[in-house]
Amino acid sequence: MGDDRSRILELLAAGKITIEEAARLLDALDARSGEGTGTSGAGTSADADGAAEADGVGGADTEAQAKSGFHKFFPGAGVKTSQKTGGSRTPKFMYVKVVSVKGDNVNVKIPVAVMRAGLKLTSLIPAQAQDQINKSMAEHGMSFDLNNFKPDDLEELIDALREMEIDVDSANGDKVHVYTE
Amino acid sequence: MRVPPWLVSMRLVEEERTKFRFWFPLFLLWPLLLVFVMLTFVATLLADLFSLVSGNKPGYTRFVLGVLGVVTQTRGTEVFVQDKSNHNRTVAFTLR
Repeated sequence: MGDDRSRILELLAAGKITIEEAARLLDALDARSGEGTGTSGAGTSADADGAAEADGVGGADTEAQAKSGFHKFFPGAGVKTSQKTGGSRTPKFMYVKVVSVKGDNVNVKIPVAVMRAGLKLTSLIPAQAQDQINKSMAEHGMSFDLNNFKPDDLEELIDALREMEIDVDSANGDKVHVYTE
Repeated sequence: MRVPPWLVSMRLVEEERTKFRFWFPLFLLWPLLLVFVMLTFVATLLADLFSLVSGNKPGYTRFVLGVLGVVTQTRGTEVFVQDKSNHNRTVAFTLR
């Protein structure tokens, strides 16, 4: 039984999610694994016609990009490597894909190590500056205490990012897809 | 500590043809950056010394080291921008 499936069942057993929510999550897992299996070979040789994505949000985007020869010049751009390897390792990169209704695309690939280093940086902020930052954030309605953030929580947070996937469909048709690999 | 980005490359593609390709060896700037970093460290060490004397916990040097750590981890960053309304222009920017 996959890790994701067992985690969903554990949440259900603990009463943290309802039966309907568990069923929806399991269906989503099946859909993703079914689509990933079907396209797992496509990403290994990215060419003008290849490089398809498993999820529906990115499908139109990669089709459009394939038609334009995007991946011929930028092989592997924005293609989820889990389709190639099916692995579930610690995420190495965060991908932000924006597809506008006009067909313009923006793909950004950011190393997760930057986020890790940036989060570690918060614990290195000098104490005097930390107090001022906390005060300023509280004044703007964000009661987040930088002192409470421990570097030990980092790996757990980074590992949790592996499961993170954000899809935004705006009213004017623009799509934003954020995920980690 | 990882090596900072040593190369930045940019590629401009229009209508499936590479129009422009540019790369710059960032490692040529390292000696200049090293001088800047050393000067910054002198300032932060002085700031930490003043903090110690005044009874506060020093942390400025560690913070600068953390910032350098963030910069070194930017290797692998890639940005692709495709503008279909402008000759299907695509610009790719990568840090290696």
